[in-house]
Amino acid sequence: MNRWNLPDLGIGVGLRTVHFGHILSRRPAVDWFEVLSENFMDTGGHPLWVLDQVAERYPIALHGVSMSIGSTDPLDREYLRKLKALAARTRAHWVSDHLCWTGVAGRNVHDLLPMPYNEEALRHTAARVRQVSEILERPLVLENPSSYVEFASSTLTEWEFLSRLGQEADCGLLLDVNNVYVSSFNHGFDPRVYIDSVPADRVVQYHVAGHTNKGTHILDSHSDHAVAEVWELFRRSCRRTGNVSTLYEWDEDIPDFDVLHAEALKARAYREEPARPPARVARGA
Amino acid sequence: MALEAPLSRVQRWMQEVVVHPGSIDEALASKAARAEVPPERLGDVVLPSRTLAPAQRVEIYQRMYLLRMEEALGIDYPALARFLGPRGFRDLVRDYVASFPSRSYTLNRLGDHLPAFVLAAGGLRHRGFCHDLARLELAMTEVFDETETPSLSAEAVAAVPAEAWAAARLRPIAAFRLLALRYPANAYVQSIRGRGHRHPRPRRQDGWLAVYRRNYSVRRLELSLPAYRLLSELVAGAPLGPAVAAAARRRPGSGAGPTQLYRWFRAWMAKGLFMGLEGLEPSTNRL
Repeated sequence: MNRWNLPDLGIGVGLRTVHFGHILSRRPAVDWFEVLSENFMDTGGHPLWVLDQVAERYPIALHGVSMSIGSTDPLDREYLRKLKALAARTRAHWVSDHLCWTGVAGRNVHDLLPMPYNEEALRHTAARVRQVSEILERPLVLENPSSYVEFASSTLTEWEFLSRLGQEADCGLLLDVNNVYVSSFNHGFDPRVYIDSVPADRVVQYHVAGHTNKGTHILDSHSDHAVAEVWELFRRSCRRTGNVSTLYEWDEDIPDFDVLHAEALKARAYREEPARPPARVARGA
Repeated sequence: MALEAPLSRVQRWMQEVVVHPGSIDEALASKAARAEVPPERLGDVVLPSRTLAPAQRVEIYQRMYLLRMEEALGIDYPALARFLGPRGFRDLVRDYVASFPSRSYTLNRLGDHLPAFVLAAGGLRHRGFCHDLARLELAMTEVFDETETPSLSAEAVAAVPAEAWAAARLRPIAAFRLLALRYPANAYVQSIRGRGHRHPRPRRQDGWLAVYRRNYSVRRLELSLPAYRLLSELVAGAPLGPAVAAAARRRPGSGAGPTQLYRWFRAWMAKGLFMGLEGLEPSTNRL
């Protein structure tokens, strides 16, 4: 169990527009939905109406892409106010975003841009995480990004940075095992070391996803089934954390809902088996 | 040796490179990027991987930027994208985001300035038609995202005494826009939504349109010019009596008579275009 006692919601999928009709009419037996915060913060139309229906029936966690927690621009207070309101509206179990920055000088490039991992970036990010947690009145959960660039000024590994950030800002971790795999390929580290090093008691959610191998690098495309190596990393991590809410991400070439859900349910085979009572020995055996 | 640069400088540099529309070499050598990191110091900022040089690694982000902008604007402007074709739309997006980059946490508002940009864009073929397409598609996305407001009920309308109508002001629902078009943009939007429809030619053809949302679905209602004028005045807050009288005066005997006015109002009420009545006496305002 994580240090905040945030529940294991089971195995969920992302709420995507193409599945709205299916979800409302079929009410599939999904454990929970992850909702992209920015898609619902500025609409009063159909998406918000659907979200309200879904939140009535399923547990929800919010996942954002524009908090820009690592940016050197000031925090966007209006964004945080709307995020907090959406979390209250959906009774979200937690609110997550990414360890990244998305723009400076008032711009947003709408990408999860990488951070240098050094003491300056750590101090800067930790201070902002504390501010956000205070505003949201809940611990912020941050996802490890996939990245294609390493900075010469980095003095810490990503897993060291995340561990230190957790200590200094008391934030949770959304551990994306596909991102670990992608970055390990792109940067040439052992993903098992990463998995074994992150603080297990801060992991409140997993992401599993597919990617695209371009030969020279891997793109985190969320466009396919997850490869066996990613599932094995997931199994390895579950052994450390126990069962934690798990979500399958599929954002490009999104398949029918049942295909997506079936892919997500593969996680069952890799999660920790529930503790079993010791087997009884038959008398006389 | 790593370049001693504060985080803010590294981020300014990377953003300038990522949003640059040219090649990665041009981006790294651009004035804005050079001001933060000289291109010859790139290796002191970004490390190579086993397979990629520093510039190639940054290029991954740079290439994705315009693709992402094109995808976002293509969702909001599918008819304009279809009309311009892949290359034409890509060029428009490249030029547009250079002038109007996203300054919001949401991509929903990225295209807000596109109609005005199209109107001012030199060298764009059929600029007037493209402008009308962009205006219509922006109105549709705005209506899609507007706050849901309940429509005026038949019971509320029936409860208004006959003598109170002249001073009444009709308030439209939030998800409502009126457009006067100079080209067949609505027919073009319609043509890309169905199979086998022929695209209309981008020739001058005046048209008037109400874009509204009903049961969370965005709809378009073609209007005559007299109906458009009357609706425009009502939406601007004119009392019903003077607005109707003006409509009847404008073109006597040509479509704005009592029978036609009644038909319009019946249709507009049925479509739920209005959410409230204002300017009624207190006793009749409790609807």
